[in-house]
Amino acid sequence: MLAYLHFVVLPQVIDGLIIGVALALVALGLTMIFGLLDVINLAHGEIYMIGGYAALTLIGWGGGYWSAIVVVPAIAGLAGWALEELGVRPLLPRHDRAVVTLLLTFGVSLVLRDLAQVVFGTETYSIAAPVSGVTFLAGVPVPLYRVVVLGVGGAAVALTWWLVYRTRIGAVLRATAADPDMTASFGIPIRLVYGATFFYGCALAGLAAVLLGPIYAVFPTMGHDFLVLAFAVVIVGGMGSILGAVVAALLLAQVHGLASLWIPPAWAETLVYGAMLLVLIVRPAGLFSRIGDA
Amino acid sequence: MIAVQGLSKSFGGLRAVSDLDFVACDGGVTSIIGPNGAGKSTVFNLIAGSLRPDAGRVELGGRNVTGLPPHALARLGLARSFQISNLFFGLTALENVRLAAQAQTPRRRFLARLDRETALVEQARAVLGEFGLADLADEPAANLSHGDQRRLEIALCMASQPRVLMLDEPTQGMSPAETRAVDALIRSLAGRVSVVVIEHDIDLVMSISDRVIVLHQGRKLFEGTPAEVRGSDAVRDAYLGAEHGAA
Amino acid sequence: MAAGALVQRLGAAGAGRRGGFGWIAPALLALAVALPWLVGDFYLRLAIEAFLLGALALSVDILLGFAGLLSLGQAMYFGLSAYLTALCYLHVTQSFWLVAMIVALAVALVAAALGAVAIRAKGVYFALITFGAAEIAGKIVHNTRALGGSDGLLGIPVPAIALPGVELPLRSNLAFYYVVLTVIALVYLAVTRVLATPFGSVLSAIRDNASRVPCLGYNPFWYKFFAYLLAAEVAAVGGLFYPLLRGFVGPDLFGFEISTQSVVMALVGGVGTLIGPLVGGVVITFLQSVLGSFTERHLFVLGVIFILFVRFLPGGLFGLSRRGRAP
Repeated sequence: MLAYLHFVVLPQVIDGLIIGVALALVALGLTMIFGLLDVINLAHGEIYMIGGYAALTLIGWGGGYWSAIVVVPAIAGLAGWALEELGVRPLLPRHDRAVVTLLLTFGVSLVLRDLAQVVFGTETYSIAAPVSGVTFLAGVPVPLYRVVVLGVGGAAVALTWWLVYRTRIGAVLRATAADPDMTASFGIPIRLVYGATFFYGCALAGLAAVLLGPIYAVFPTMGHDFLVLAFAVVIVGGMGSILGAVVAALLLAQVHGLASLWIPPAWAETLVYGAMLLVLIVRPAGLFSRIGDA
Repeated sequence: MIAVQGLSKSFGGLRAVSDLDFVACDGGVTSIIGPNGAGKSTVFNLIAGSLRPDAGRVELGGRNVTGLPPHALARLGLARSFQISNLFFGLTALENVRLAAQAQTPRRRFLARLDRETALVEQARAVLGEFGLADLADEPAANLSHGDQRRLEIALCMASQPRVLMLDEPTQGMSPAETRAVDALIRSLAGRVSVVVIEHDIDLVMSISDRVIVLHQGRKLFEGTPAEVRGSDAVRDAYLGAEHGAA
Repeated sequence: MAAGALVQRLGAAGAGRRGGFGWIAPALLALAVALPWLVGDFYLRLAIEAFLLGALALSVDILLGFAGLLSLGQAMYFGLSAYLTALCYLHVTQSFWLVAMIVALAVALVAAALGAVAIRAKGVYFALITFGAAEIAGKIVHNTRALGGSDGLLGIPVPAIALPGVELPLRSNLAFYYVVLTVIALVYLAVTRVLATPFGSVLSAIRDNASRVPCLGYNPFWYKFFAYLLAAEVAAVGGLFYPLLRGFVGPDLFGFEISTQSVVMALVGGVGTLIGPLVGGVVITFLQSVLGSFTERHLFVLGVIFILFVRFLPGGLFGLSRRGRAP
């Protein structure tokens, strides 16, 4: 029994932890954008995809993995910022903004996905991991690279937490989420806050793409497949909740991973969606409260 | 008509309404006044079903209606207007009122052809006429002037042929002339329905009310006839202030 | 080209009242009736598919344009109906009417269950629940070998519809086309009739100002609920014929793509007009096919068209310039 736990379950738990951290990065962007703007960004998966292709290109030009870690989030962030300025912002004054921005970002996702196919083709490309070798965590052999993912991803999550809850910038963000008009009347440039939030949230998605590139490879529908899972995380965690996104990401990744040990992986995925539906029905606000709420 | 006992509601740490008792007289006009933040709109929301009270009891015509949802209360004859006009802005004035009147018709007629339901349209036109809005029947509510919108708010309520009419600051944003018109309007309605009004305009309150309830910080400070209220030192200290002067 | 002529017509139509568009609907109907004499088999079958997807778009409009509910999961009923239809013809019966009744009943039950739950949810959560349910349904079908798994079900026999005195062989493109045209026209008329009632007026009121509706004495839940049931049945009409057109069904019929495509069609056609989404469905289907023969980039073009409509023409082709709430 102990051996089973040690050699079968524990590695899956560790794997789930790693995937969960990357998932958290993608979900964080989604939830911050929703929490602040009431916008459901259906193009978020494609921003993640842009990150993947940017990493591919950069490394292909000889830039090296570590430069990609820095540059790609910036590129993804810029893409997100452009989306906000050009697409989302003009729609914000409308009273049905949640619907139209959803539809708009859906259109954008179609366009971006098709563009990727045009430019890069439909094949799957892999990114070489920057480090090789194996290390041991709690007696379980783990590829060294995955530990890197855990480290960098975890650091990014912690950074986000610190930024939102321990800095003045974060206070401005939370105030804008709670009451944009009031905050604007204090002289805060909320347009900048919106743009910056989109930038940061999408940068996180870009980072996740770089981190997961060597594990999951790069292909045109990579964002699309990931997005549904990210949405499940955001819903379960609480739309607009930072803590929720992180906790739910780790939780659902574990549920998915552990469930795949005992049931076919396709059903494990269905289980995750079932959990999402259950949360929507029983407690739609999710596990945690929205940023800006008391 | 409306009786409230021990009504209380808190939001987080804030006690919006504390242990409120009052009775709104049948067929007359009862006004609720008080400084901003006294809890007046909250009381309305508690009675009309948009908020659930933490404690207390609401009775409508002797029947316990505490915590019933708004649509149930409307069907029991309660109609309320809103402080900020809450009309169907995309629909015409006529359609607004027709919808209100329609709610009182039996449900089994609900799949009948709309363009054949002329009785309702006539009824709606009559109500609009009563409120001086007959010419604006085909105007979208969003296009009406502020004063007309406020009157449409009240017209919407009356179209339901209620027993109790609750008006939340009906003259909000109106000119003195418009306010006088509303004054006359409410007095003409008072015979047919019991009216409960939240108001800031003290002159209006004194003019139309049979009874006045003064709220302060969620509690009932005073209750009495307009003359009694005018003469009360406690009320003056809390609310009326020097500029309104003595009677 | 039929699609070009359609688009020109629609462009000239401009804004109009909800429901009746005077000469437009009869004109389009006349065009549709004449179509088999204008185009060949390929476009005829494309038109059938366009009508079926148009029904999906119509179902979206019932909810979005009238009850103010955005459903991102109408594909649920399209897929459910399609799969049930396929299974019935494969294993149970060749009777069109029996299959139609089974599907109508099953869809009503599922919609009642899901609707009861989803409608209680506020705002965007309704959309998410409908989305989630459709996704799960699709995944379950995808994972279940007995339902064909990811390959779906193939070789669905095409029946003949038994009417008093005549049998309509759906195997014939011409018969199939006119049957579907008639059905869709009837569905459209039925929906228009149901919504031009006090019931429909309350739905429109809910869309305009949901908070005021209960204060008038209406319980919004039941209105939304019956609108949801109606929309589900309309979506199911599409699924009833789709397997017979294509000969197979696959789990992607439950998919997000189909659901969002139906929303696109509704938006492009004009939310709240009923005729708009139906026409929008036809236009988009034709556009995708025509574009698809010129370029592989039809998704791109679709996305761009969509973005442009959302941004600049939110009223759609049959544009109702809907006055939003006063601030």
